[in-house]
Amino acid sequence: MSSTSSLRTKKKYVLITIIAFFLLISVVSAQQDVSCYHCHTTVVDEFRNNIHYEMGFSCADCHGGSEGSNSSVISSNVMSGNFIGKPTRSHITDICSKCHSKEAEDYKQSIHWDAIKKGHPEAATCTDCHGVHEIRAISDNKSSSNHQNSPATCAKCHSNTEIMSAWYYGIKTDRMDTYKESFHWKALSNGYSIVATCADCHENHITKSHTDPTSTTYIDNLPGTCGKENCHPDVKFDADIAAGLVHDKESLHTGELVFNKSGLTTQMKAYYLGPFDLAFWIAEFFKYLTAGVIGAFTGMVILDCLSRFKLKKRW
Amino acid sequence: MTKVLAVELSDSKKLSGDTKMGEVFFKRFTFNQLVQHWVMIGSFMALVVTGMPVKFPDTWWSPVIINLVGGFEMRTQIHHAAGITMVVLGVYHIVFHLFVDKDPLSERKVWPTIKDAKDFWQTIFFYLGKAEQPKFGRYSWKEKFDYWGAFWGMVMLCVTGLILMFPFQAMNFIPYAYVHLATIIHTDEALLATLFIFIVHWWNVHYSPEVFPMSKAWITGNLSEEQMKHEHPLEYEEIMRQMAEKNEP
Repeated sequence: MSSTSSLRTKKKYVLITIIAFFLLISVVSAQQDVSCYHCHTTVVDEFRNNIHYEMGFSCADCHGGSEGSNSSVISSNVMSGNFIGKPTRSHITDICSKCHSKEAEDYKQSIHWDAIKKGHPEAATCTDCHGVHEIRAISDNKSSSNHQNSPATCAKCHSNTEIMSAWYYGIKTDRMDTYKESFHWKALSNGYSIVATCADCHENHITKSHTDPTSTTYIDNLPGTCGKENCHPDVKFDADIAAGLVHDKESLHTGELVFNKSGLTTQMKAYYLGPFDLAFWIAEFFKYLTAGVIGAFTGMVILDCLSRFKLKKRW
Repeated sequence: MTKVLAVELSDSKKLSGDTKMGEVFFKRFTFNQLVQHWVMIGSFMALVVTGMPVKFPDTWWSPVIINLVGGFEMRTQIHHAAGITMVVLGVYHIVFHLFVDKDPLSERKVWPTIKDAKDFWQTIFFYLGKAEQPKFGRYSWKEKFDYWGAFWGMVMLCVTGLILMFPFQAMNFIPYAYVHLATIIHTDEALLATLFIFIVHWWNVHYSPEVFPMSKAWITGNLSEEQMKHEHPLEYEEIMRQMAEKNEP
């Protein structure tokens, strides 16, 4: 009786061992394609979503080191040769430019690269927009550099007061808020994505300051930027686009009377009639008009209602 | 007084289906005016439904409505189509009343008068129980306010709406900043118009106990003798006087 029972237990263990062995084999072999997985699990998990992984690139293509080595060999082998490890922020461009030379060339004309060169490594480099290990194709909806994700990606830094003031005081942090007032955003946030996002006007790689005459957002270049082939083509408009704020917001119009407008920008000046900021005063006018008319007439309706309790019959 | 007197004065040949034997109806609106009002209702409601989600993009109902009407692009197309309809309606209205309608402009009953200001105060005192209900002519001060309010709103909304629909063409004539100003005017005026129609106008023609659930004048164009006597007594007396004169000789 007891011998049959112990035989059964033994059989069970053998069975479990066999199953566990094959399970382990299948799990380990599934991870075999990226050698660094056994230590850098999170990073490699991210890397599996990377377009480069799909195309057959390995860790060593960016990080350097020995390609032949894998988990079974200790890391001294991995880190042999031209091993880089974690590249510094100013060095990231060099790695990407090995293949993406055109993009790197464009990027090196940008204000972001200027800042890095001047010793502000927190300025945006390739990985800030495209992702570090999870670099997806631009056409991928989950890509941070995808057209409709561009506002959120840029806002990561440009709405952050600490980052914006850490290395250069004076960069406006309301760019995302002001973009949200635009029709472009209202359409985009409702799933109509054929509208301008950040990179469409400011360029993706050659991002320059609007004060730079070669920038797409420099006042004189705005008609060309807005009139781009896929945006508002065949539309004749002169530099009038400069007479107004592209990034407009209610809070920018405080209603303060300005008699000497020499301190104002061209864009801001266009809103003024005499010392009055029309954007403020028109909104103010409608606020009081609406409150007045609706208030008075709603009061009338209420009076009308109440009067019925007194008068039995109106007619 | 059971003769159908008032119809003789109107340009309508038939009375509406709910006519009772011997009941007298008074022509309130011509068929032309009724159609204008119907087109106005249709385009206005479409514009409110497709416009408000953009005026208040952060509310919970904004994406709900936009999805219900078929997405943002469809919303824009509906809004533009209804907007153009309203512009055409406005132009038609002005052209008709300036060039087709032969009554001299100064004799139109729609102009505000001193009596309207007096009636306004008397109405308030009436509500407070301290005066008689004012006697109105063809148009009461409320109706004149409705009309001129809608007139002002149409001008504001149509002009700014066209600027917003063709911003780059407009920028050939105005600075870019004024397109933003057009946005402010368009959306604020739209909100005012919507609130006024939904609260005040609908009270007068729908919710008010005299007419609840609605005054049928917007469908039939007619008012009953009872309604006429109490809502437009001066006009009623005038019609009766004219009828009597006509019948005398």
